[in-house]
Amino acid sequence: MRRRKFFINLGSDNPSSDLRAPVQGVPHVASPGPAIFTNALVRTQENKTVRFYDDLIRGKQVLINLMYATCEGACPLVTANLVKVHEALKDRMGKDLFMYSMTVKPEEDDPAALKSYAQMHRALRPGWTFLTGDPYDLETIRYRLFAMNHIAIDTNIYGHTSFLLIINDATNRWLHVDPLASMSTVLRKISWADPPKTREQIMEENKKLQQQIDLERKMFGYRMNS
Amino acid sequence: MSRSKQKESKEKPGHKLTRRSMLKMGAAAGAVTILSPTILTSRKSTVYAQGTVAEPVLCPPTPVPQSPPHTPFVDDLPIPSPAIPQFLSPTPTEAANIGGGEAARDPHQRWAEFTPAVTYQLEMKAGTHQFHRDYLPSYIWGFNGKYPGPTILNAYGIPSLVRFKNSLPTSTSSFGTNTSTIHLHNGHTASESDGFAGDFFAPPLFKDNHYANAYAGIDDFGGFPKGDPREAQFTYWYHDHMMAETANNNYLGLNGVYLLYNDKCPPWEFSTPGSIRLPAYYGVTDIPLFLGFKRFCATDATNGRTEMFQVVGAAAPGTDKFTVNGKIQPKLAVRRRKYRFRLINSGVVLNWNFSLHGPTGAQKPMTVIASDGNLLRTPADVSATSGFPTLEVHVASRMDVIIDFSQFNIGDSVYLKENTQTPQFVSTPTPPDAAPGVPIGTVVMRFDVIGNTIIPDTPPIPSTLTDLPPIPAAAPGVDPFEWGFRFIPGQADGNNFRVSHSSVAESNANHTATFLPFDPFRVDHVVLRGSTEEWIIRNDTLAGAWLHPVHIHLEEGRILERTVCSVPSATGCLPANRTPVALLPWEDGNNARRDVYPVPGQHRLRIRLAFRDFHGRYLIHCHNMNHEDAFMMVRWDVVESMAELHKRREQINAERIARGEAPLYKKEELG
Repeated sequence: MRRRKFFINLGSDNPSSDLRAPVQGVPHVASPGPAIFTNALVRTQENKTVRFYDDLIRGKQVLINLMYATCEGACPLVTANLVKVHEALKDRMGKDLFMYSMTVKPEEDDPAALKSYAQMHRALRPGWTFLTGDPYDLETIRYRLFAMNHIAIDTNIYGHTSFLLIINDATNRWLHVDPLASMSTVLRKISWADPPKTREQIMEENKKLQQQIDLERKMFGYRMNS
Repeated sequence: MSRSKQKESKEKPGHKLTRRSMLKMGAAAGAVTILSPTILTSRKSTVYAQGTVAEPVLCPPTPVPQSPPHTPFVDDLPIPSPAIPQFLSPTPTEAANIGGGEAARDPHQRWAEFTPAVTYQLEMKAGTHQFHRDYLPSYIWGFNGKYPGPTILNAYGIPSLVRFKNSLPTSTSSFGTNTSTIHLHNGHTASESDGFAGDFFAPPLFKDNHYANAYAGIDDFGGFPKGDPREAQFTYWYHDHMMAETANNNYLGLNGVYLLYNDKCPPWEFSTPGSIRLPAYYGVTDIPLFLGFKRFCATDATNGRTEMFQVVGAAAPGTDKFTVNGKIQPKLAVRRRKYRFRLINSGVVLNWNFSLHGPTGAQKPMTVIASDGNLLRTPADVSATSGFPTLEVHVASRMDVIIDFSQFNIGDSVYLKENTQTPQFVSTPTPPDAAPGVPIGTVVMRFDVIGNTIIPDTPPIPSTLTDLPPIPAAAPGVDPFEWGFRFIPGQADGNNFRVSHSSVAESNANHTATFLPFDPFRVDHVVLRGSTEEWIIRNDTLAGAWLHPVHIHLEEGRILERTVCSVPSATGCLPANRTPVALLPWEDGNNARRDVYPVPGQHRLRIRLAFRDFHGRYLIHCHNMNHEDAFMMVRWDVVESMAELHKRREQINAERIARGEAPLYKKEELG
């Protein structure tokens, strides 16, 4: 997955301090801003109109996936896993972490269809927004964010439904993960887009990991979940 | 002073803003607070490993840029400098030195038996590297800030330890992920030093990888060096194996060469007991060719850089420059004698397909002496008449060839040509062909024959290079285990790169095995240390182009059979439809040993492996780094006792039943 960082972020560590975009469409310090994301007007499942970059992305850590309401392949499985992700990270959701599920069939999926899809999958949760909008805009966003420069994948609207994009706009960190991977893997990858840790945090985590390794070796004789 | 050095010296510590980015940022977010020194100080705790190299200002992802033009054959081929042994502080320890800043790990296996006699430190950090005279330096991540990293030269019988210190930037505008784990590719290495994908560590930690530098078969063969000398391997490379981010980190430059010597292949050419006297002087007559595919942004004079363009995540057409030892289309002065070249495909995605051409464009022979670091029993020629016109080097694979330049005249130019990939972009208009039938864009590098040899030539290549150890016998009553590599293209399920694991019985009945993504905590197969097994590696993809270069950690394998499906099937090939394909001399188990198994769509490879000397967690994965990052990878474990094997295999059966799959192990295979 391509990831674009035009500037190193030497600004504030705290994205919320910079959330108030003074002018429409101004990128966050480290971010390419609407040049990549677009600032298209999109509609939420509550039929609210928002700007894609200014209102949804700017300075935030976000998870973005593609779906459509009538999808019977991967989407329900992905959505079910995202519910688990939301459950695991619910303390952060809507505060410094946001989830967006964007339809690849905006012609079919109006806000009401998305809302019923979300309800059906117990996905109407704080910090999780379903998005539809102008097909041209959504197609543009899909290409800009998910393109792999691979014609077989990119021209197929279903080609990206098993990607969960992880973006921290404050540090312009872009990652992606297969949302059907194990929950520990998905959560781990999301954490790699968290703001940088201090040396003390790294040392402390390393010490805890060694304790877990030692414990597992004592209990089972081998490392399993460490 | 080279341009790159001038540039580096201008970059002052802590000065990470360029004029251009400052201007942009100023417009963006009110530069006043950003540039304030107090802010920089307050961020100190999270920029502890930032280093002094200015972070890159990358070009926009669209439109995909064409790399800047270059003049062919102006740079000399660089030789990666050897790593210098050094004492380490704190002193390496058997258990991880957590207080001293080492990453968490299991204690080293066989530590007392193989006390490190030589120690190195390689520091992963940001640096700059100039890929061509016509380019400005590019931002890279490298070992000791170099690309390729320093070459580790060592010998069997001399255990070593390499301290990999992570000093990658804590905040980067490049596309790398600053956690890393280092795999010595080909190494018969204990699990905790093997660079298992899930064992990554962050800056500022370090990790000690312990390399016994013993032949496989330590348990069964005494002597010095320990192990079975027929198991000797010579050409290795070390590289980042970061879970899900291997492609980015390798593309940025986290890789290097590692060579081992022994009596058979010593680092000299004069006659000594046991030596087969191949060209052997590192950097003089024995030269690593570390191969890469790259694409670059337009040169940015303001920032003094020609940055690499991120192609990772993209498939084949993503790159438009070939690099050898970090240079685009270099030249190498050679003399009329034999040279050993170690072709190493450092990825990240594409496979090479080489032939050698003389000044008239006519194909000239080169002799393959080793595949994946292992000497062939009988060397094989790649030439117009040998039946093997080209030599494929798949991602992560190594091929050692000998080129005899005494067949050329002084003043001749000889070209290494790439035959499969889109020719690289040189300049507009395209310069004339290097030689008839050799378009300039297909030339990887040029050899200039400058004179007669000064160092006496080595004797003719022996017709038998080595004895191979016997092919491991399959255990009676145990069926082969089968690994299915499958790309499930853009259906409603999205794109999935997955691996299945099944028993052969299951696969013969058109398998139902589930294809799962990599999880470092899920074990899909358990083997007993000291046992042998037959494995089948299968690629169900319909299109032949989806070749998966499958790599197995810990042990070399022997290929018994390759079949292609006569009735292509996306769900597995029925036994009646499997048509044998002739094995190449550098993959045939009777002539060669491999650790990278190229499996095109609809192919099946039957291989035998022994699992010796070490226990722990190992991997089988597709070495197309985009594929492994998309989780086309599986963990398998080696255990020490029958009791443990039984327990762990029952556990795997139970997990599979819980997932709705057939159990993997028959009763007699439970141990």
